Amino acid sequence: MRKILRRSSALMVAVVAAGVWTSWLAMPAGADCEVKLGVMGPLSGAAAAWGSAMRIGAEFAVAEANKAGGVQVGAEKCRVSVTPYDSKYTADGAAAGANFLASQGVKFIIGPVGSPEATGIKPVAERNGQITFNSGYAKNAIEPRFPLAFHQLSGPSTWARPVAKAAKEKFGFKSIVVVAPNDQGGTDIASVDAEAYRAVGVKASEEYYQRGTSNFAPIVARILSSNPDAVDTASSPPADGATIAKQLREAGFDGPIGRLGGPGTPEIIRAVGGIDKLKNFYWLEIVPTDDPGVKSLWEDYKSLMGAPAPDNTLMATSVVASRMILKAITKAGTAADVKKVAEALRSLSVEDRNLGKGEWTGQTFYGINQEISLPVGMGMIVDGKHLGVRRIDTSGQ
Amino acid sequence: MAGPVAVRKVGTADVAAVLLCAIGFFVPWLTQNLFAYSIVNQILIAVVAASSVFVMLRMNLLTIAVPAFMAIGGYAAAVVALTGVTNLLALVLVSFLVPALVALPLGALVLRLRGVYFVLVTYVFGEILQLMLFETPSITGGSNGLAGIPAASLFGVALTSSRDGLLIAAAVAVLAVLITAVVCQHFWQEFAAIDENEVLAQSLGLVVWRYKALGFVVAGGLAGLAGFSLVTMLLTAHPSSFASLSSVNYIAYAIVGGRTSILGPVLGSTFLVTASNFFGSKGEYSQGLFGLLIVLVITAARGGIVGTAASVLRRGGSPAPAAARSESEQHGPA
Amino acid sequence: MDGFIAAGIIGIGLGAQYALLALGFTLIFGILGVVNFAHGGFYLVGGYIAYAMVGMAGWPYPAAVLVAILTTGALGYVVELLLVERLVNDELATMMLTLGLYLMMSTTVLVIFGPESPEFIFPVSGTLRGKGFYIPLANLVVLSVCVLAIGAVYLLMYRTGFGRALRALADDRTVAMAQGIRPRLLFPVAFALATALAALTGALVTPILTLSPHAGDAVLATSFMVVILGGLGSIVGATVAAFIVGLVEAYSSVYLGGSKGALALFVLVLFILVVRPSGLFGREVRGA
Repeated sequence: MRKILRRSSALMVAVVAAGVWTSWLAMPAGADCEVKLGVMGPLSGAAAAWGSAMRIGAEFAVAEANKAGGVQVGAEKCRVSVTPYDSKYTADGAAAGANFLASQGVKFIIGPVGSPEATGIKPVAERNGQITFNSGYAKNAIEPRFPLAFHQLSGPSTWARPVAKAAKEKFGFKSIVVVAPNDQGGTDIASVDAEAYRAVGVKASEEYYQRGTSNFAPIVARILSSNPDAVDTASSPPADGATIAKQLREAGFDGPIGRLGGPGTPEIIRAVGGIDKLKNFYWLEIVPTDDPGVKSLWEDYKSLMGAPAPDNTLMATSVVASRMILKAITKAGTAADVKKVAEALRSLSVEDRNLGKGEWTGQTFYGINQEISLPVGMGMIVDGKHLGVRRIDTSGQ
Repeated sequence: MAGPVAVRKVGTADVAAVLLCAIGFFVPWLTQNLFAYSIVNQILIAVVAASSVFVMLRMNLLTIAVPAFMAIGGYAAAVVALTGVTNLLALVLVSFLVPALVALPLGALVLRLRGVYFVLVTYVFGEILQLMLFETPSITGGSNGLAGIPAASLFGVALTSSRDGLLIAAAVAVLAVLITAVVCQHFWQEFAAIDENEVLAQSLGLVVWRYKALGFVVAGGLAGLAGFSLVTMLLTAHPSSFASLSSVNYIAYAIVGGRTSILGPVLGSTFLVTASNFFGSKGEYSQGLFGLLIVLVITAARGGIVGTAASVLRRGGSPAPAAARSESEQHGPA
Repeated sequence: MDGFIAAGIIGIGLGAQYALLALGFTLIFGILGVVNFAHGGFYLVGGYIAYAMVGMAGWPYPAAVLVAILTTGALGYVVELLLVERLVNDELATMMLTLGLYLMMSTTVLVIFGPESPEFIFPVSGTLRGKGFYIPLANLVVLSVCVLAIGAVYLLMYRTGFGRALRALADDRTVAMAQGIRPRLLFPVAFALATALAALTGALVTPILTLSPHAGDAVLATSFMVVILGGLGSIVGATVAAFIVGLVEAYSSVYLGGSKGALALFVLVLFILVVRPSGLFGREVRGA
């Protein structure tokens, strides 16, 4: 019996190995006129919700384009397809992904999601001649050295100050502690957030926790020992943010909790157990989710794809980026000349059917004007009541 | 129970390992496929890291500190390159020596520990190092790492293209495999004695700590070379490349490949790195598929890829003698 | 002074959590000599089964926890019988095997339940407040379960024939087999017991913190550290080490911050191991 089991497992291994070895020698199937969009982000691990949202957004934009017959490239209409890659939130994962996608003929990458991934992919994508549209909040998310790297949404340097100001006006706090994980995905955002709070007259300090912490009771105790009026969870992943919020309330802290960071608030509300448990909360929404245009995006998704999309708003910016790339390909008249497509992309006005009008920004903060800046949203829960998400115009920041 | 007995001399397995790594030099002439370059480059880095694990396994010691020493070597080379010294040979030397020097006092401290206690200490050291990277932003760039490192140069020629990166990785891998083979062959008896029964070896007059320390220092240097290779591929020294738990990957490459010779880590790295790159395109299934592969190989291939290949060559696919013996010892007449 | 007491209470809460986690891990490690890399996986599965029972099937929480324990125990039994058993003498191979299993388990959870955290709240809420400190009632429940579990396992190991057989196998397998003890019968049961304990911990702790598909990632590192620090094979050692780690983590995080605090904890562990190379209560050690 054992011999049979071992022989068959050995056979299975051999088959897998053979498959693995031969498939990368095979050339990608050349469809007649196909435009491939790559999607890169963490599809497993702690940040999987974000990677998954990025992919879903691209898939929607692609399905939309294909429904209209494809994307216009010169004289013909080409089918569009999506090739995803799990970059596991690391620099080398993203670098490997860029090379994998290049071998599959993918020149346009929606993503990657996280700052370490953006750091890893930029030099490789530049070398490979691939356009990337990352959503990381790093201070060097895009830079003049890498003209093919674009930024899918605006970073804290754009929205932190207006949101901080609005929060201060609503809740009236004078001091705040910003808490984030101790890696680039935490420090780059928390430091900018803290500066923004100081700029609007709030005393701010930063607390960093070891990435991988699951029980935040000691951190909470430390935060509260300095008696802040408010606590901001910045870019900590939603699961961490939820635990921090839970344990802050357990410790008797009733003040406002903020989230000047990435998407994931609906997940936090759910994991904490409801709006009444959260009591006072304000957060950045990367898109103004109460806007009719934005809401219709979720409805359009449901009707086109047949199933509801998860709440994670990274889907929306991913849709915008995908649509813009396809528009740029049409404007440039080619999907093969990446430099031409990039030029066309830069010349497009930032405008989206669902998300409205925005602008290209980034010259001041990054040194290169390749960040899409659309209006963002700010959500608020006051005394256990959800006040909705109001639109925050960040133009001119 | 100790693992399978190590090969005594520099044999065909070692030569095969060196040759396989040397194939890396010819890949740019065999194909233009960027993905192939990427995979081969990753494999060559993995081989060096797995060889670091392998050296310690010769003494029945499992180390989880490989990413930590990779970080020391990689960051050291990065810091040196950023000061303007980009000579390839200098960078390779720095990336080997600095971690080896760090391993010396650390080794003296921890080599009294055996078995799982040693494993834990190496894990703790890895975590401490990651935290130190974060706490010393002025040297290491903190959580952002050191970006924009100038490429290494040889005889005044800057080695910037991905093809050049591949050649550097191949050279480093060949160097690492040679070092491993020579060290393990030269000290075969001493390492085997420590592997078999440390206390007995000591009582027979072997100055055990000296050889453990030697092995640890060499393993540290090898890991440093792997770190240099990784930093060269990315032209960035970033903390996320050296996460403590990535050590399990390097351990997997060594064990799945086979523990009897350096050929094992080479084959294990080739197989698992290629698979991992593929699975990445399967979205959220990527980690699960990788896990499944490991489970299949571990249950099907006793002695790793090398061990199984050897027993297949020995006719019939019957398990190698050592494995058969341990099976009957496992449960006796029950 | 208030902060000092508050930190201490937090530390004890952490210690109880770690002790429950370490219990399952040390059983498998001590008796089978297997480093169970999938420990976090069973913790995770326990949490998600309990969530599925409560959130999706609408069962009451205690029943859900029971289902989680039994199902995961059964899973552990099968895993040991079919897979681990074949490799039980090769420590490195079992390490790799359980690692592979962990990746498969966490991916399965991710694929079935999605990447986002579901709503899974501990049914007992409310906090005891004192002067300058607070104790969430949920933590008291965990602490009591921890004490009961440790007591039960201790009784099992030291007052029953089954426990004596397991200890004999841990001490010297060959001699134990010569005395007629049959590992092929006992190992799967021991493994099942350990995975059931992991599931119990998961079902209890994840609703207090937050349940997510990556909740198992950090579990292995903590359990490993606590068990080794306490000394291989010692339940008392693992328990003591768990509370020491919990308290040190609490105090160092509160007074030094998350990052420096973690550094302090690891340096302390390093120091303890250098001074006591067999752990706090450890005995003779096996090879790697």
